[in-house]
Amino acid sequence: MSVMTDPKVGLIPGPVHDRLAALSRSQAWYGWAGYVAPSHLDSMEFEYFALRNQASLFDVSPMHKYRITGPGALAMLNRMVTRDVAKLRAGRVGYTLWCDEEGMVIDDGTLFRLGEDDWRLCCQEPMLDWLMEAAWGFDATVTDESHDIAGLSLQGPCAFAILEAAALDVGHLKPFDLAEIEPGLTVSRTGFTGDLGYELWTAWDAVPALWDRLWEAGRHHGLRAIGYDALNLARIEAGFLTAGVDFQPVLSVERLHRGLTPFELNLGHMVHFDKGHFNGRRALIRARNTPRSLLMRLDVEGFKPAPGALIYHRKKREIGHVSSGIWSPTAKSNIALAHVRMPYAAQRPANLWAEIYTLEEGRWATRMVRLTPVKGPFFAPPRAKATPPARL
Amino acid sequence: MTRFDAIVIGAGVNGLVAAALLARRGKKVCLLEGARQTGGMAALRPGEGPALAHLVHNLSPAVRRDLGLGRDWPFALTPLATVALAEDGRHVVVDGPNAGLADGTAHPFAAAHAALTERLTRYGALLRNMAETAPPGGGVTGIAMMRQGLRFARTGLSLRAMGKPEMRRFLQVLLSNAYDLILDEMSDGPLAGLWTADAVRGAALGPRSPGTVFSLIYRMGHGGIAARPEGGMEAVIAALEEAGRKAGCTLRTDTRVARILTEGDRVTGVATEAGEILSAPVVLSSAAPLTTARLTGLDHFDIEATRRLRNLRSRGTVAKVNLKLARAPALPGVDLASARMVFAPSAEYVETAFNPSKYGEMSEAPVIEAVMPDPGAASPWLSLLVQYAPADLDGGWTAAARDRLAGIATQTLARALPDLPGLVTSAEVMTPDQIGAATGAPGGHWHQAELTFDQMLTLRPGNGMGHYAFGPSGLYLCGAATHPGGDVMGLSGRNAALRALEDRA
Repeated sequence: MSVMTDPKVGLIPGPVHDRLAALSRSQAWYGWAGYVAPSHLDSMEFEYFALRNQASLFDVSPMHKYRITGPGALAMLNRMVTRDVAKLRAGRVGYTLWCDEEGMVIDDGTLFRLGEDDWRLCCQEPMLDWLMEAAWGFDATVTDESHDIAGLSLQGPCAFAILEAAALDVGHLKPFDLAEIEPGLTVSRTGFTGDLGYELWTAWDAVPALWDRLWEAGRHHGLRAIGYDALNLARIEAGFLTAGVDFQPVLSVERLHRGLTPFELNLGHMVHFDKGHFNGRRALIRARNTPRSLLMRLDVEGFKPAPGALIYHRKKREIGHVSSGIWSPTAKSNIALAHVRMPYAAQRPANLWAEIYTLEEGRWATRMVRLTPVKGPFFAPPRAKATPPARL
Repeated sequence: MTRFDAIVIGAGVNGLVAAALLARRGKKVCLLEGARQTGGMAALRPGEGPALAHLVHNLSPAVRRDLGLGRDWPFALTPLATVALAEDGRHVVVDGPNAGLADGTAHPFAAAHAALTERLTRYGALLRNMAETAPPGGGVTGIAMMRQGLRFARTGLSLRAMGKPEMRRFLQVLLSNAYDLILDEMSDGPLAGLWTADAVRGAALGPRSPGTVFSLIYRMGHGGIAARPEGGMEAVIAALEEAGRKAGCTLRTDTRVARILTEGDRVTGVATEAGEILSAPVVLSSAAPLTTARLTGLDHFDIEATRRLRNLRSRGTVAKVNLKLARAPALPGVDLASARMVFAPSAEYVETAFNPSKYGEMSEAPVIEAVMPDPGAASPWLSLLVQYAPADLDGGWTAAARDRLAGIATQTLARALPDLPGLVTSAEVMTPDQIGAATGAPGGHWHQAELTFDQMLTLRPGNGMGHYAFGPSGLYLCGAATHPGGDVMGLSGRNAALRALEDRA
């Protein structure tokens, strides 16, 4: 499949589109926030194994990026997000959520504290209007940097070695640290893969040169450009959520009651009630002990991935569905992120079943497969956290 | 003594009522007023002349009952007939359902007027039932919830009891505009002008604006009778103040609140501008909602709440003009001592008067309500409400603009009272911007927030804030921006105080 990249048609090329286009054998593209982005350049499997065994390069420039500055930025952000960002020091990155007044998750993202009064929020959904609302009355300025700041995500066990080969010294960065390694180039030890990895942030027009520099340095480390499909496998293995897939951003849903609380997403630890008021706090206090459903990590019997499968209690009562399901090549198991209604989600032993459709030589059939709850991420290699990281 | 059970901010009508009610229920209450005098907007005086509010339409008996003021108010209320002034001298005198011409002859639409009055008064009684209780919902429990449920069930039943055709008519007109409703019943003229003027009084709306039937019915809640409190608005305020004092409420004027204090999402008291800390677990604020939120700190409120408050429409359109006269003007056939004069010669005129205000201009031919509070005086005051004089006048309300407004008002009234200009010895003007500055009411709007459908009942002042409780636990809004609104009713203050008591029960 190929797409038109003519801006008149709608999708516009990202900052390294010509590099990606030259590498693309599969011509599999999709639209990401208005930009042309690769689903895969070669095949998902090649790219996935490069990510887990060597290193991968992924253009994250289409992410929405907002700069929040000013003496009131901390107060404004702490009123908006659920976690206590006063505890986030300058030079640190934090994963966070923000909710509407009813405690339903609007979006999640990473918050970079670039300086005492200087923050950057990266997220999946367009958020400028919400941030402007949130900043009203506070001594803080919100700037949309989405089209000014570009980012490359370098992930995989060889990521550190490649940066070193590119003469970028990031050995001191612990997970969730960030530093301006060179003037105009900020590196954070973050990513969406649960693996060792870094995200490099620089000006939009400086990113092609950065791409070339990493590409050159990665020549002997098996560096591969990847598309979203491989990344998606890795993020499900890590247990990370995707907005619009694993939860519905509540500001963009049209139907009632499609929102979920952080507790229903198993992210209760991201809600800090002791920090003072924040958006949705009063509603969340009421909701915290009465989740309607829970996000579960499940091991699915058999080897047929179960995305979208309905979940049953004792094979009878329909009680939920799978939002993300894949065969995990690294965990060697069939895994799923799923929403399961209470009280069934909390019952142990669980008696959960998924209904799977199979197509065998022209004949469709259904099969009930057992679901086993899994604690923690499906795959969490120690290398992701080691500092200094290994030079592979 | 700096510890109280409750602190009430603002000693306007609603603040006074809330404080007195809480004190009567055994709470130790401190009422704080930033100005030197109590009474808020109602008692605000542009100078020597009469206060802003010169008549009461809807002063609630429920308030009187709850403040223990007995069967009658401690001041005399003189019901006034209304004179719809006509340029040709054929003034219409309206006394409740009766409408006739000032020369004693019958008005051609007397029957239509009587029927309309009867009908809207009946509808008004329905809405009054709703006004006297907190809006539905809001998480009250137990007996309070049952009481609330009964009230609304009663409203529903009375709606049904009207019978199907009448209920259909009620629901049909409820959301429509006053202009159409009135002109369906009578042809245009001073009587229709009067009706439409009463429908839009105090609002940034014209008779053709949707929802004006509702505001008209609202005003008819107590029969639509305008009454003059003898002794002026000061007597009304004094009575409310006295009720509070008797109940042991501490009143402190000249005390501005700098901050509302909280701890762990609970209100703990207030800090005054003088730096004094007064503590109480309950704070009721009759200040505007956004002002109250700022006093508490915006970070204590949800983002949606501040957005709604920012978008609250409250653009005052009424200026107060007091004219000092050499003697009372002559108005043949009318007893000025017991008359409310309205200059609105037609519904068309009222709508036309509204037009310039949309563009930040004052009406060249405004709608005027005029009352003579003390006609027996040697040189009496003529107290005017002049509409439309928008708060956000293009070029601002300069001294010249105010003088122009006084001139326009005098010349406009002279169309029906030709000897008036020669009688005026001096004039005082207070425009919405000054009213806003003196009282803190945004836009100088006398309801603090426009009384329209999207800002009413549970949506007043905004979705999620319709039950007086506001932000941190223990904080309540009790001003005119809450259900049911201003108009010297006192019900917002009363309902808020009752809600606070229920929550503490």
